[in-house]
Amino acid sequence: MSTKPKILIVDDDPDLRKGLNLRLRANHYETSYATDGFSAIAMAQKERPDLIILDIGLPAGDGFVVLDRLQQSAALSAIPVIVLTARDPQFNRERTLQAGATAFLQKPADNSELLNVIRATLNPAWPGTAGAS
Amino acid sequence: MSDQHPHVLLIEDNPGDADLVRLRLVESRSDVDVQCVDRLSAGLSRLSEQQPAVVLLDLNLPDSHGADTFRKVLSKAPGVPVVVLSGQDDEELALKAVHQGVQDYLVKGNFDSKQLARAMRYAMERQALITSLDMSRRQQLQFEDQFLSHVSHELRTPLTCIHQFTTIMLDGIAGELNGEQREHLETILRSSNQLRSMIGDLLEATRAESGKISIEPRCLVLGDVIQQAISMMKASAQEKRIGLEAAVDTGIPMVYADPERTLQALLNLLENAIKFTPAEGSVMVKACLVDADHDFAYISVADTGRGITPEARNLIFERLYQDPNSIDDSRKGLGLGLYITRELIRLHGGRIWVESQLGHGTAFTFTLPLFSMAKLLKPVIAVEGKLRDSISLITVELSPLHSSSMGNWDRDCPQCLQLLRSCILRDKDTVLPPFENSSGGELFLVVASTDEHGVKILEKRIREQLEHSQELKTGCVFQIATTELQLPSQHSGESIEQIVQRVAEVISEAAIAKIHRTGNSNSRARNIGNLSETKTN
Repeated sequence: MSTKPKILIVDDDPDLRKGLNLRLRANHYETSYATDGFSAIAMAQKERPDLIILDIGLPAGDGFVVLDRLQQSAALSAIPVIVLTARDPQFNRERTLQAGATAFLQKPADNSELLNVIRATLNPAWPGTAGAS
Repeated sequence: MSDQHPHVLLIEDNPGDADLVRLRLVESRSDVDVQCVDRLSAGLSRLSEQQPAVVLLDLNLPDSHGADTFRKVLSKAPGVPVVVLSGQDDEELALKAVHQGVQDYLVKGNFDSKQLARAMRYAMERQALITSLDMSRRQQLQFEDQFLSHVSHELRTPLTCIHQFTTIMLDGIAGELNGEQREHLETILRSSNQLRSMIGDLLEATRAESGKISIEPRCLVLGDVIQQAISMMKASAQEKRIGLEAAVDTGIPMVYADPERTLQALLNLLENAIKFTPAEGSVMVKACLVDADHDFAYISVADTGRGITPEARNLIFERLYQDPNSIDDSRKGLGLGLYITRELIRLHGGRIWVESQLGHGTAFTFTLPLFSMAKLLKPVIAVEGKLRDSISLITVELSPLHSSSMGNWDRDCPQCLQLLRSCILRDKDTVLPPFENSSGGELFLVVASTDEHGVKILEKRIREQLEHSQELKTGCVFQIATTELQLPSQHSGESIEQIVQRVAEVISEAAIAKIHRTGNSNSRARNIGNLSETKTN
């Protein structure tokens, strides 16, 4: 059994997915990905990731729909979700947090910031940083 | 007048003058519907019920005099045309009124029905024109805002890619790099970071223009924000071998400002200072109080750069301004930083200005309002110059649950504040900005101008709201307590301000007591203590 935490990357941009995938694997996470809202839910059910990194602007069910579905599902509602989007924080940060996301980061996010938030989210005893964004 | 039965509101206390105006109105048009009131207060309440086609306004009324009268009417009904009825000797005041938004004036006893009808018609037409211009300007700003929001989103996506893959290479994830490759990649990263902050500025500046930037002021320890800004800029100062220091006067009470926006303003000024200061120079942040001004703290950022010409000093805060004499080989940027900074300071009610000596350096100074409990409380505890009958204080202490220390504390505090605000009656109660205590919790104070019975209902409502919130329930614990405040009785000759001041002291003491009880005797508590000493003029 693998001890590496599993992260599901949900983004419709292939380059961004690839980049994030490389970055996370280099930091010893296992990754899987989905390219739209519908397959994000399917992948979450199949893979049961430890964490989801979610874009907002997605085909076939945007990020808010995904957050809502996850919250509705007893099996999936406990999976923490970090929203990573190019959208404006002024109109989206509060909204995504209200919808059940654990943290909101705007693209392009600093790698160290992203990794800190991931670490803190996966390990609640980690001192410090999550939700700070 | 084009519409049927135009409705005219006449605010005039002299019955003779009122009758005369009414007569002139009926002479010019028999179907006119005139309502006459003899007090400003009655006029204002009519205005909130129904919008007349035009207001005819005498400026000297039993309950209001001079400029105050038209200002109150204009702010009550900004879209309604107003014609001032001026006395013979009062034309100067009437002109002033016209400059400030009144459409026209007539000198009493000096106009016939035709002149009155004409003044009213022109007033209405001018007002309609202004309203439509205003509307199209707003639509344009709205469009600009949406457009930029869209563009910035689209720009960020490829930028994210550049950032992502550049850092992947720089961090060696895609293999070893030689020195030259590394250098080139660092150049790409630096440029993409510049681009990122420019996109942010562009959006921010548009927001400022369309009045969409909002601030959430709270009690803020100035020294903390300054330290935070210094530590964020330390690296870029060191890179240029520039000294970066702060001197914060002890004894500055807390300011009433948005922490993130204050930080943003400071960072903008520091970035500029470092950019325009040559190597081995220095940048200094100072914060102090000024004897002549009891309401504001003064914060300055001074550098030893080459200074700014007097012509540039006048323009430097304008949008897109760039110094034409810049001989610096660094890039100029968009010229939005200082504009945004000024708007942020203005939103707080502060000012910003620049002093500079060519060849010696530049100092930007801005002011932020000192937190004054009395100023915040006044509208709640005193109404029209009279103290309310009873005032109660509800305290809500919120602390994070230890088991979820990473929790969502940053989300919980604003949420709690929002819930509290939704519970109160805005013109009777107020939620004070939260106080942080050193055990990591927040103390919220609700001041309610209601009696024992009313406050119980309010407390119950607050309790239900907080208990209902799923997030608050899982992330934190809260304690609610209510105290009825003993209002000081009004001594003879004591002004309402002095009483408000004393109530503010009582509430400050209650807050300090709470913070002490939670095991905190540090500077924050003392800072609240200072609040009651700040003067309220």
